[in-house]
Amino acid sequence: MVPVLLDLITTAAILYIVSSGLLLVFGVMKLINFAHGGLMTLGGYAAVMATAMGLSPWIGIPLAAIFGGIVGLSMERVVVRSLYNRPLDAILATWGLSIIIGQIITLVFDRGVHFAEPPIRGVISILGEPYSTYRLILIAFALLLGVGLTLALRGTSLGLSTRAVIMNEDLARGLGINSGLVRSVTFTLGSGLAAVAGALITPLSSVDPNMGIAWLISAFMLVLVSGSSLYSLAVASIVLGGAQVVVSNYFGSVLGGMTIAALAAVILRIRPQGFSYE
Amino acid sequence: MSEANVKEVASTSLPRPHFGPLTRMVIVASIVLIGVGVAPLFMDAYSVNVLVRSMIYATIALTVDILWGYLGVLTFGQSAFFAAGAYATALVFTYGGFSAEYAFAALLIGIAVAVALAGLVAFLAFWHGASALYASVITLVLPIIVTQLLFSGGTYTGSSSGLTGFETIPLSSEAWFWAVGVWLVLLTAAAWMYTRSDAGRLLIAIRENEQRCKYLGLNTSNIKAAIFLICAAIGAIAGWMYANYTMVVAPEIAGFTFGTELLIWVALGGRGTLFGPVIGTIIIDYASAQLQGDFPFVWKLVIGIVFVSVIVALPRGILPLVSNAADWFRDRIGIAQPQQHSQLQLRQASRSGRNIIGVESRGPALVVSGVEKRFGSLEVLSGIDFEATYGEIVSLVGPNGAGKTTLMTCIADGSKRSGGTISIGGHDIAHRTPEECVRLGVGRKFQMANVFDSLTVGECLQIARARLDPLSKWQKSGVCSLPPSAMRVVRATGLHSDLNLPAQVLSHGKKQALELAMVLALEPKVILLDEPTAGLTKAERTLIGTILTELAKTEQLCILLVEHDLEFVREISSRVIVLHQGRIVLNGSVDEVVNSELVKSVYAGSGH
Repeated sequence: MVPVLLDLITTAAILYIVSSGLLLVFGVMKLINFAHGGLMTLGGYAAVMATAMGLSPWIGIPLAAIFGGIVGLSMERVVVRSLYNRPLDAILATWGLSIIIGQIITLVFDRGVHFAEPPIRGVISILGEPYSTYRLILIAFALLLGVGLTLALRGTSLGLSTRAVIMNEDLARGLGINSGLVRSVTFTLGSGLAAVAGALITPLSSVDPNMGIAWLISAFMLVLVSGSSLYSLAVASIVLGGAQVVVSNYFGSVLGGMTIAALAAVILRIRPQGFSYE
Repeated sequence: MSEANVKEVASTSLPRPHFGPLTRMVIVASIVLIGVGVAPLFMDAYSVNVLVRSMIYATIALTVDILWGYLGVLTFGQSAFFAAGAYATALVFTYGGFSAEYAFAALLIGIAVAVALAGLVAFLAFWHGASALYASVITLVLPIIVTQLLFSGGTYTGSSSGLTGFETIPLSSEAWFWAVGVWLVLLTAAAWMYTRSDAGRLLIAIRENEQRCKYLGLNTSNIKAAIFLICAAIGAIAGWMYANYTMVVAPEIAGFTFGTELLIWVALGGRGTLFGPVIGTIIIDYASAQLQGDFPFVWKLVIGIVFVSVIVALPRGILPLVSNAADWFRDRIGIAQPQQHSQLQLRQASRSGRNIIGVESRGPALVVSGVEKRFGSLEVLSGIDFEATYGEIVSLVGPNGAGKTTLMTCIADGSKRSGGTISIGGHDIAHRTPEECVRLGVGRKFQMANVFDSLTVGECLQIARARLDPLSKWQKSGVCSLPPSAMRVVRATGLHSDLNLPAQVLSHGKKQALELAMVLALEPKVILLDEPTAGLTKAERTLIGTILTELAKTEQLCILLVEHDLEFVREISSRVIVLHQGRIVLNGSVDEVVNSELVKSVYAGSGH
């Protein structure tokens, strides 16, 4: 029972880490960044590079943030900016960007599977059951991320501008808020978070040019049921991630793999606003 | 108003349908068929092999184009239907062995499974109130679930390596080339005829403005579902061909990646052009096969870059670019063809009587009692009680935020009010959807002119009549029958000479008139007009006023009008209802209201 419970919590934490960047972009820009998966892959390879260069595995995380941020910023400037009024086209264009990222990675590295050195190995004993230390650290990381993002949104003036853009972009622009800047910063931050998430999950999954795709769908479904609230995302991660762990445990991982997508589709059919309370 | 160029014919003599473009299409199709016939004789075996697969893919790309390019449903899930057809075939042949009967049975099973899946998707994705994004999400979930199901089949479905080594229809590559080629040409021709027909225009109308379609009494959810099911069946047929031809199936064909690859081909070829996606798919898939060996990753990278560029810079794809260049070239060398405008003709509709209530019904046309509307704790309307009879023009006035438009919405959509009852011609609207309210005899004109911008004026009117006069599914009928009231508006405002113009080029006033004509084409008994004169010139306003007064009298229409222009209200209303802060504060004759101190104080803003 204890391992299942711990799996449930750590899975929720991982899903939260993976989805928060996508949620930020969706909340502010009202568009779905389908390059999120590609950016995660990029972050994964940042961790691989850190290992290859013999650096501390922890360095892989800021390295991923820098890669993701730079790529995200240029994508926003060159492509995404012209698609603000075409949300469905933005999904396709960012998917295309994801293909481009994947192919460049394939050209630089190769098609094969790579491994990154995990920052921490080993297990610690929780109530007499050994459990992966790294997974437990991810819980702390998810909490830190949630608190950090919330504080950034509440405590900084750019955060205030961002919240204004989320609520009513036209009004915000009318009040002199530079919504273009808010969008740029948000997309860059969202992309950076995607890459960090990619680096963080490398100890749990192999690194290959398609590693981000499976995560993209889960993150996408979680964001849809959460609207634009970080709080709803936490609830959604726990409920849907929990369901995934339970289904995987009792009905096999294959059915577990479709739990989030299927459940989210049903939830949205019954309650279009999902877990957000507005 | 020149009556000279009104083309009106007696209802009995149908004008001849236009066969010009149809003949051309038959000629083009025949040439392509001959090409398909001789092509394998001049190609190496490898190219023939690859092109069979490319053409199979092109048939699914065609369905993606119809769904996305025409109907506006961005679908990631056509791969799942393809896989249903392919796996049904592979499973039947693997476990039953090959026979002609089994091949036929496999086709039927594949189609049945695909249609069942599509039915489930349609049930989830197309319902009153579902957003376009939600529909796309459901089509995205489908391939994921189907892939997982194929994995969970274990050795039965071959899990991740799929099924292979089954015996299939014994045909040579050339024979497959001919079979698939003919199927592709026929399918494309059929799709071309359908999308050009009157019913095909309806798909574009739904893409452009689904809400307006619903308020024209069209059940858009059912139409979308029907098209989706047909496209699923075509996808299953493609899967059946694929399994028979390649003799191997793997879970990748069901996946989201293949689903998006189809979108890429369609986007590059040119969404909403049919030929673009077909040609695009064949070229890209063929080129991929040729180049993949030498430059596998670079080729995919190039496709990715071109795809992103096309989405950003050429949303309509590459084919329109080519055809524009061809037009330009024809212009230059001076063989420009005169634009063939299919002339649409108007004719008088005989009263169809398909609305639930009849003209002879007595009693009030509209009864609103105790209607309330709340948004959370905010009360927008409360205790609204009034009646209106046939032949009456009732104006709803009141300051901004008084709840006028909300009241209109509650009458036209049974699901909107929070309490109370509304009946139209003695029928309770209960929780009827807008399209069902139209059947009861409600017609609604929106505040902002709400027409189909990329359709012509004539097509807009035909769509408005679609509920009463079923649209032709294979040709442009060239006629639109309108009831006298709509005809009166069309003629009086000069729209009859604009029938072949796209609605988006109309002036604001004419757009308003067009929408009014579209609403009247529904043969409603109660019409709801939200600021029909907003933004009109004085002359246009007077004209609309005159027409409305006439219609109320001659057609015995009950007209409910939201208006800010008190002058206009005074001229045409038979009664005025004053709304203030969600309540009726006065319900009386024009004189009573105009002279009321209460109304003056409401408008002056001093409250009750």
